Amino acid sequence: MTELRLESVSKRYGANEDGTAALESVDLRVRDGEFFTLVGPSGCGKTTTLRTIAGFEEPTTGTVSFDGEPASGTKPENRDVGVVFQNYALFSHMTVAENIGYGLQFLESEGDPSSDRRIAELLELVDLEGMGDREPDQLSGGQQQRVALARALAPEPSVLLLDEPMSALDARLRESLRRQLKRIQERLEITTVYVTHDQEEALAVSDRVAVMNDGAVEQVGPPETVYRDPASRFVAEFVGDNNVFEARVLESSAEETRVEIGDRTFRVPALEGERNLERSGERGLERSGERGLKQSGKRGPEQSGDRGRPSVADRMTICIRPEHLSRTASTNRFPVTVETSEFLGPTVRVHGRWNGIPVVLALEEVPTEELTVGFAPEDARLVERSP
Amino acid sequence: MSGGNWLERHALGLAAALTAGALVVMLYFPIGVVFANAAFVEGVPTLEPVRDVLTDPFYVGSLAAVFENPLAIGSHIGALADWIGSSSISPTVVTPLPGIDLPLPWLSIQTPGFRGGLFGFTAYQATLSTVASVALALPAAAILANYEFRGRRTIRSLTILPFVLPGIMVAVGFYAMFGQAGTLNSLLGLVGLGPVPFMQFSPLVIVILAHAFYNAPLIARITVAAWESIDTRTVDTARSLGASRRRAFRDVVVPQLLPAVLTGALLTFVFTFMTFPIVLALGGLELATVEVWIYDRMRQLEYAEAATLALLETVLSLALTYVYLRYESAQTGLARVDARTAREPLFPDVRTALSPRRLAIGCYGVIALVVFVGPMASLVVGSVTDASGFTLGHFSFLLERQLDGAAFQTRPFPAIRNSLLFGVGTLALAVPMGVVVSVLTARAGWSGTIVETLAMVPLAVSGVVVGIGLLQGLVFGIELPYGWQFEVTGPVAIVVAHAVAAYPFVTRNVSPLLSNLDPTVVESARALGASRIRALLDIELPLIASGIVAGAAFAFAISIGEFSSTVILAGGTDAYTMPVALERYLGRRSGPAIAMGTILLFVTASSFVVIDRVGGRFER
Repeated sequence: MTELRLESVSKRYGANEDGTAALESVDLRVRDGEFFTLVGPSGCGKTTTLRTIAGFEEPTTGTVSFDGEPASGTKPENRDVGVVFQNYALFSHMTVAENIGYGLQFLESEGDPSSDRRIAELLELVDLEGMGDREPDQLSGGQQQRVALARALAPEPSVLLLDEPMSALDARLRESLRRQLKRIQERLEITTVYVTHDQEEALAVSDRVAVMNDGAVEQVGPPETVYRDPASRFVAEFVGDNNVFEARVLESSAEETRVEIGDRTFRVPALEGERNLERSGERGLERSGERGLKQSGKRGPEQSGDRGRPSVADRMTICIRPEHLSRTASTNRFPVTVETSEFLGPTVRVHGRWNGIPVVLALEEVPTEELTVGFAPEDARLVERSP
Repeated sequence: MSGGNWLERHALGLAAALTAGALVVMLYFPIGVVFANAAFVEGVPTLEPVRDVLTDPFYVGSLAAVFENPLAIGSHIGALADWIGSSSISPTVVTPLPGIDLPLPWLSIQTPGFRGGLFGFTAYQATLSTVASVALALPAAAILANYEFRGRRTIRSLTILPFVLPGIMVAVGFYAMFGQAGTLNSLLGLVGLGPVPFMQFSPLVIVILAHAFYNAPLIARITVAAWESIDTRTVDTARSLGASRRRAFRDVVVPQLLPAVLTGALLTFVFTFMTFPIVLALGGLELATVEVWIYDRMRQLEYAEAATLALLETVLSLALTYVYLRYESAQTGLARVDARTAREPLFPDVRTALSPRRLAIGCYGVIALVVFVGPMASLVVGSVTDASGFTLGHFSFLLERQLDGAAFQTRPFPAIRNSLLFGVGTLALAVPMGVVVSVLTARAGWSGTIVETLAMVPLAVSGVVVGIGLLQGLVFGIELPYGWQFEVTGPVAIVVAHAVAAYPFVTRNVSPLLSNLDPTVVESARALGASRIRALLDIELPLIASGIVAGAAFAFAISIGEFSSTVILAGGTDAYTMPVALERYLGRRSGPAIAMGTILLFVTASSFVVIDRVGGRFER
């Protein structure tokens, strides 16, 4: 079906070239039939990216192309995209069926007698059989959301764009709707770009995720990669809970690196061998399972000379997921003063401090005030580095 | 690229250009003609006429000396100090109603040798009218916002009614109530009192009451809206923090109401500063305001003087309107919340009905009945009664006049026909203009603000000025190059004047709907394949249809009731409308005037029903 590409897309608002940048040289490739998610905090540029794909915004520089065809200057109505907005944007003066059927009249085969059948088909697809005659305001939020989805899918667009479609719904409904959305997307094999600020949601539904911050893409990859091997400190902190430590390199060998954090020495993985230092963005960062270590400065030039073994006294940022900090670990141990505990069911999330540094743990039971935890060297991730 | 496509892409631009052109011909050029009359004498630009007016104590009173010699600040301040020094305020007891021994405490202000002149008097009566309107509006707002009773919603929607009632008709209504043979005197007669010559005793009080009739509902409407938008949880929070009920009201509710009240008061001042038909009909030249005087100068063919006064009045009212718009826009949008606790029942049982608060509400109800319902009821009653009781004589007089009247006489059917025709013509012009202005200003940033300000000028320019401008500019004809002459006939000019007065109301009804319209709705349509124009037709227009219909009903009602410019443009012709006919009858026989007013009341009230149906249904 359709592969979507964004090549060095920038968007600036304001009169001149150096106006406020909403997007800074964004490169993305969304594969045919892929469920691709843009995730990031508000104001990171994810919605602007989506609107640029839809044609509601023209990029200041760079191109958006559908199957290799540049879309510059193509109006939204001619882009063959379906869009679902956060507030659903249903036409309140039309019935559900009229909403779903609205896009069908602009297809080549206008006046096709099969449009009623198509509407019925879509109503069935989104589990709203027999609701065609309702007015949008007679529906619940979740139902409205499904009408908006059916409406966007009706003209069989080649790309489906979803802008925070779930964020107005409550948590439980959101989960069931996103499963339904995923099922529909897999059945139709439609190329889908999904925008959300909820990293958990992004990890749950996507084939691949692009983490955005401040108008730029920090990392692209499958959910597991983004979670396990964050390419930057931002990704490490934004996706899931994480413990972030500033470390100083004491000794670096082919087997391991020894670093100093606070007043203790830790053993973390070596930086050479199977590990790469890679730049964020589309190029080269795709091999899942590989551990991407990113050098400091997210928009810094790609300097291959920086690859390889760190020198003594280099500064680096290391992170360790809470689930990798255990009381039973034999290596890399340090004491934690417990401040708060939250019972989450399967685990207890514990916030504490070590040497004034905030630490978050995932334990199986509510701990005492003081405890000692440790981690295996291979569970540490080195995300940033500066000489 | 096909022609249809070109038209489609440029449709908005074309509509904008057409509207701009129409505004120039219909509004800016005529006003320019009036101003040119004031600023040029025999083709030479001069400030002489303006100076003449500003230094004439007849116009500006004591300020004439200041304008005469503006740099002698010391002596002006001295004069002011002397004047304040010799003024005094003393409490006295007066009996305001002759024939009835009802003493009332009164603050009498003795001010020696103060002359306000024509402008001063105009501002004075506008101030009094504003105070009276606010005083009448606040209790109404409090009751409507806080108490539940049968008919509350009806009364709330009726507050828009005065807006569409023709001023001249309201004046006749007050005449029918307070006149020598009016309903009030008939009622007093039943209990053996009167007749009291209310009108002769103080026409100013009657004029101010008539202004309050118009403007108090407006202020009440704005205030109720603000009151209902107050989140009662903020009051609850203040109470739980230790504020007493009264204190919470003062600290939480009052600050949120004040902007609304001030907005209404400013608007009232602007309206009453430019008042015309009410003063003309109820006060005459004795109580002349600037507007009435301009009209009189016009009738005396003193064009230059009329134009100079028009210039000064317009500058003042534009300044006031600017202040109003600035103030209004400084108020952030009232947040709509659904967190209101239920309203208290007004009269839950007999015992509470006798509490002081409920008694005060009852007293206010009586006053409101007299001021708001009285004149309209008197109009209807007066049309079918005379000194001897029930009669259809007034209507049959109108019928006879229609059948036997000479060509030069004012006959009722042409008046009704003209009114309806002009109304339809106004709709045809004002609705497209108003909608185009809304579309252009809805999401255009600062350029939209400029367009909006320019397009809202009619709200600040009096009908008399527009009428004079159209008469001198378009009806008398404009010389064009190559010996061409552009002129329009009186009826066309009247429709133009009505459209100019009416389209801002279309815009004001449509714009909020348009700017509340979620842009993603239009974007969804575009993504589904609709072009910009298709999206406008399929999505935006249906969603703002209620605003367009409400705006159209307003436009029609304003055309039907318009008096100021019509009376100038229809002077000496048979293009008279119902309000003009009403004024002509009023000068001679009150009975037929009252009958004519009743017909007018029914026509305008039906426009109100349309506004209410359409506006009311979408009000939520």
